[in-house]
Amino acid sequence: MAYEALDFYDIDSLLTDEERMIRDVVRDWVEERILPNIEDACREGVFPDEWRADIGEMGILGAPLKGYGCPGLSYTAYGLICQELERGDSGVRSFASVQGSLVMYPIWDFGSEEQKEKYLPRMASGELVGCFGLTEPDYGSNPGDMITKAEDKGDYFLLNGAKMWITNGTIADLAVVWAKLDGVIRGFIVEKGDEGFTAPEMKGKHSLKASITSELVFQDCKIPKDRILPDVKGLRGPFSCLNNARFGISWGAVGAAQSCFNSAKEYALSRIQFGHPIASFQLVQNKLSWMLREITKGQLLAYHLGKKKDDGTWIPEQISLAKMNNVDMALEIARMSRDIHGANGILDEYPVMRHMANLESVKTYEGTHDIHNLILGRHITGIQSFTREP
Amino acid sequence: MGVAVLLKQVPDTTAKISVSGSRVDESAITKWSISPYDEYALESAIALKESGVDELVAITCGPQRASKCLTEAASVGADRLIHILTDADFMDSCTLQSILSSAIQRSGCDIVLCGKQAADTNSGSTGPGVASLLGYSCVGSVTEISMDGSKISATRLGNTGLEKIEVGGPCVFTFDKGEVELRRPNVRGIMMAKKKPIESIGIEELGIEIGSPKTSLKSHVSPPEKPPGQKFEGAGSIEIVVSKLRDEANVI
Ligand SMILES: Cc1cc2nc3c(=O)[nH]c(=O)nc-3n(C[C@H](O)[C@H](O)[C@H](O)COP(=O)(O)OP(=O)(O)OC[C@H]3O[C@@H](n4cnc5c(N)ncnc54)[C@H](O)[C@@H]3O)c2cc1C
Repeated sequence: MAYEALDFYDIDSLLTDEERMIRDVVRDWVEERILPNIEDACREGVFPDEWRADIGEMGILGAPLKGYGCPGLSYTAYGLICQELERGDSGVRSFASVQGSLVMYPIWDFGSEEQKEKYLPRMASGELVGCFGLTEPDYGSNPGDMITKAEDKGDYFLLNGAKMWITNGTIADLAVVWAKLDGVIRGFIVEKGDEGFTAPEMKGKHSLKASITSELVFQDCKIPKDRILPDVKGLRGPFSCLNNARFGISWGAVGAAQSCFNSAKEYALSRIQFGHPIASFQLVQNKLSWMLREITKGQLLAYHLGKKKDDGTWIPEQISLAKMNNVDMALEIARMSRDIHGANGILDEYPVMRHMANLESVKTYEGTHDIHNLILGRHITGIQSFTREP
Repeated sequence: MGVAVLLKQVPDTTAKISVSGSRVDESAITKWSISPYDEYALESAIALKESGVDELVAITCGPQRASKCLTEAASVGADRLIHILTDADFMDSCTLQSILSSAIQRSGCDIVLCGKQAADTNSGSTGPGVASLLGYSCVGSVTEISMDGSKISATRLGNTGLEKIEVGGPCVFTFDKGEVELRRPNVRGIMMAKKKPIESIGIEELGIEIGSPKTSLKSHVSPPEKPPGQKFEGAGSIEIVVSKLRDEANVI
């Protein structure tokens, strides 16, 4: 049977022909290349290089960016791409989010003409892989206090410090690194092989096992003067990247939830207990109907937000709400689906436990669930509660 | 020199087919696709284009929804798209062949590629029928094709093994599933396909004489449901199983 994604409110009919075609290309690719191989990749803790090549070949990286070899798609198309990738695995979507929204985007928006021409076309084709270094061992939710610093040494910049939890780090050809220059946060492009730069992999994850996570270490790391992003200062730089990535996650989470819903539905219809399919019991139906309800709401939220991104009428708080809500519902659905599968739910024969474990990371990265609550709290009351200082 | 590829839109091979009244219920089909053998024809047509054919023309005959086949073909490299529009739910093979021949003449192509049969009707008559109407040669069940100057060589599965055939003049090649990997469209192709115009032509505009069809479709019937399997447990049932395999299934 072909995969039929849950689409209770017929969002499909709101899409353009090319949005549908792009979605189907990614959907078929996930079906052919990711689903049969994802469990092996997780077991081995690798992100296979063929996936990078295929994703580049499909031309979906940096989806909403225009020019410099980038696709220039609608935000809805970008969202659909994330949805399909994450229906496969959150790690695959993470790869694309980091590359497109966290590395290509800041170069595209804040980079010099030379930087754009040097990196963007080769990143759009997947030839170069990027990573985004914001989080530090001691500064996660409050990156503003970061200690990684850059010094202007006349002919070059000198970077010192360390980043942690960096997706794609070890496999990246370049890193967009946020560091303080004279106390002000600035973006720098560090290339693999730059003197004093290493990116050791972090092992032992129970989540996003097919995604590479690394430390970035800068020990008197020398980079040429033309590697600073000229056009942005302060937290606005990293935060504007996060807005795009979080938007993609709000769609991606729908994909993971659709996968868990389908698996739960099929399992419930075929599993017989007490002489009847468990799908015939009211408690199980209640769970399935709750999943249907939450996924449908999440889809509408993501779709509408895409339209607002396209016409430029969005505010960051709307993205916070969508990221927080959709990841939360997807995680709850993954847990519920795991429950419906009984003991089978813990096996790698079904996608649910993998999605569940992945979504724990997704809940934390790109602003933790509660940090988004605080963003909304500040929006509602006008009072910030991130810190006790006024 | 141009190459035409004939594409038929059929229910996806994974779609659930149900019969309502005496016809397949099309409204219940959620996914329509290019007929799988036609996809191999399309892949080979793109390969021919890459080895020097001037123009690749994709042709389909069917209702409005069938234009999706053409856009898909454009997204992987078709240059011109011709859609013969019809809402007929059944078309006599001879009628279809005249329509397609006329469209091929319009395209000016003298190499024609299509699937060896369509996944829905399985009739297998389109390629040879079109070839005979146009007076072209026809090579069937081809798995690979290549071009050298004005000559085309095709590999096909013959009675005794693989046959290599060389063709000089106008020819229709019908395709079987081969070893070649089908390419997947990429975003750039899809965005370019969006801009490619489709020549939509009504059958009456073709200006051809279509005689009254000799065959008509009476009804569709679902295949009978398979009886449920039988289960035997324990060594005691060996005798019954053996006798059933011998007398009922006739396999031992
Ligand atoms: C798999 C993975 C990949 C990642 N990839 C990247 C990457 O590519 N680049 C990158 O820069 N970072 C990345 N991160 C890091 C991620 O962004 C951080 O983990 C995240 O910002 C949270 O920081 P933290 O882990 O230090 O948690 P902390 O900030 O220490 O938070 C711990 C808990 O405290 C809560 N908390 C914190 N402050 C407050 C407050 N004021 N009020 C109430 N509650 C609060 C949080 O909500 C959370 O529940 C990744 C993380 C993971 C797990």
